[in-house]
Amino acid sequence: MNVINIALKELKVNLRDFRTFVFMLAFPIVLMLILGTALTNAFTSGATVGDMSLLYRNTASSPQLTQAWNEFSSVLEQQGVKLVAASASEDGKADVQDNQYSGYAEITDNGIRFYGSQRDSIESNIIQGMLSAFADRYNLAAAAMKENPTQAQTILAGASAQQSYVNESSLTAESQPGSMGYYAIAMTTMIAFYSVISGSNLIRGEKTRNTALRLSAAPVSKGSIFAGKVIGVTIVNFLCVVAVVLFSKFAYNADWGTHYPTLLLILFTEVLLAVSVGVGASYLFKGESSRSFVMIFTQIASFLGGAYFPVDPKGVMNVLSNISPMRWANEALTKIIYQGNLQAAWPALGLNIGVAAVFLIVAALFMRRQEAI
Amino acid sequence: MNALEIRGLTKKFGDFVAVDNMNLNVREGEIFGFLGANGAGKSTTINMISSLLRTTKGEIDLLGKNIAKNIKFAKMNIGIVPQDLAIYENMNAYENVSFFAGLYGLRGALLKERTEEALDFVGLGDKQKSFPKNFSGGMKRRLNIACAIAHRPKLIIMDEPTVGIDPQSRNYILQSVKKLNQMGSTIIYTSHYMEEVEEICTRIAIVDHGKIIAEGTKEQLKTIITDTKEIWVGVKAEGELPLDSLKQIQGVTSVRFEEGVIKIHSKTEVNNLNRIIQQLIRDQAEIRSVEEQAPNLETVFLTLTGRNLRD
Ligand SMILES: Nc1ncnc2c1ncn2[C@@H]1O[C@H](COP(=O)(O)OP(=O)(O)OP(=O)(O)O)[C@@H](O)[C@H]1O
Ligand SMILES: [Mg+2]
Repeated sequence: MNVINIALKELKVNLRDFRTFVFMLAFPIVLMLILGTALTNAFTSGATVGDMSLLYRNTASSPQLTQAWNEFSSVLEQQGVKLVAASASEDGKADVQDNQYSGYAEITDNGIRFYGSQRDSIESNIIQGMLSAFADRYNLAAAAMKENPTQAQTILAGASAQQSYVNESSLTAESQPGSMGYYAIAMTTMIAFYSVISGSNLIRGEKTRNTALRLSAAPVSKGSIFAGKVIGVTIVNFLCVVAVVLFSKFAYNADWGTHYPTLLLILFTEVLLAVSVGVGASYLFKGESSRSFVMIFTQIASFLGGAYFPVDPKGVMNVLSNISPMRWANEALTKIIYQGNLQAAWPALGLNIGVAAVFLIVAALFMRRQEAI
Repeated sequence: MNALEIRGLTKKFGDFVAVDNMNLNVREGEIFGFLGANGAGKSTTINMISSLLRTTKGEIDLLGKNIAKNIKFAKMNIGIVPQDLAIYENMNAYENVSFFAGLYGLRGALLKERTEEALDFVGLGDKQKSFPKNFSGGMKRRLNIACAIAHRPKLIIMDEPTVGIDPQSRNYILQSVKKLNQMGSTIIYTSHYMEEVEEICTRIAIVDHGKIIAEGTKEQLKTIITDTKEIWVGVKAEGELPLDSLKQIQGVTSVRFEEGVIKIHSKTEVNNLNRIIQQLIRDQAEIRSVEEQAPNLETVFLTLTGRNLRD
């Protein structure tokens, strides 16, 4: 009961602290905008999508295929793809090479053949993705057609109604974060890690305010005080992290994928880890040196973790960066968001919880030895 | 019964002995004054009584129970007003009191009632929703007290609760202390201000170098002093005052100047009033009044410890 009381107090005090908001919310949000837009060029694989245009020639004789294609075409157009039917004499491949279109598709009874532009590679990739989704669906429908024509209709109708081509195409294994996507993740994990600072102030704050005296004089065990404070401050910082995620999603359209429970669990454990490191540091290093340690440590970890610039995937920096908790979190989040790889959560969760436990135990042992908290 | 019984209490910080084999009894219903100069060991003693510091040696009984063996009982029955403000700036007056009272197991309607009661008691009943950052020094001190009394402790320990506040708030606090006492709490009161202690305390202990060097009612303490008198000479404060030359006069033990008054301690057996006045006239001080003070606690303190209570 006292644990809850103390945790609630911690929430109240921190949520009313103006600095929490500037530091934990405004700071990452502004940095995301600056880095995410200023450094777009650094992320060639994720450059912004330009106009998409598709030249096509439909030579199929099957009425079902033609009907399905027509439905699909309207979906494509809704998605902003300009569709142009090739005239009889036109050489579609040459037009694409001339860069007139993002791609050229031939629809035949044997399937769809697609030629993508080398230059507009992103655009042509997207169209290709949508086309292959369409082809898969059509094949499914065609197979069903032999057995049960009405079911085939539902498959095709459902596909166009839900516009599911697009979703499927954006989930190809190759997908990579763009610059905003990258910094949305990097800033979020950085700010989660900045909870180290709250952690290092957790006990020291009570001491400088002298409220440590009152807490110690009250009939409450040190363990309850400690647990309540750690829980409270972890929740506060986690709420800030969630706010940053939501803000980047809705204001900057950052891609956070669909696996929110797993993403949030990783971020939560990262906050817990950071708070624990902070609390531990405040006992291991006395006074000012703990403050310096925390500042230096967070900066190095941010830098190595790729908060400011992506870490070169080769070389010594890459090896070094593995000691940064931000790196674990960034990797896991990227794999989950862009590849739907939920397994990638395990290493990050394990490390976060393991390191947190070590630091919490160290802090608790120190606390027990001291007279007051 | 004794509210508090201290036997052989000692606290060492490394080699430094902050509290030295202290023995003390505080009876139930007393307002017990704890007088001592800076560093005398008052806060250290208080912190051991309220389980904030471990004892190096010795026993402390609260209401007949050993506090080390009955730590929960001891904590429930003690309210401590720390020397330095101990409140949360980001929580309003009500939330501060209610949070701390909650740690003593108060919940729901009772918690609300006791919180309001404590705030009313210190005169902050109409400031429940205000934040300490908008409070004057005196109001913060009063909130500091409210946080210590909402759980209705049997023993309230106040460590210099009136430091640095306006006379009005000070008066309010002194009246509250008396009222708390009338309502049944035993009080240990620490202060640097002799007048406060003289006004409200039923018994007083003088602490020096971690030891109690005198203990009793103020009347009893004053009878210790039979060999020192204090002479106050009101002067118009202009230019150099001849304090050094006054110290040369036979029998004078100390001279200080405060707010237009030269305060001279002297041995009773030497009649030196004439010489003091002659010296002042010679130094062209404009004398406005001369009076011999009845012995007071300040004199007692000075005589016993050889120093002033406040530096
Ligand atoms: N944690 C500590 N470590 C070392 N020395 C300490 C510690 N706490 C107090 N002391 C020393 O013990 C002595 C008594 O300190 P204490 O705070 O009890 O004095 P006090 O009578 O309350 O003085 P004040 O009127 O200034 O509050 C001082 O010399 C102080 O420096
Ligand atoms: Mg003190």
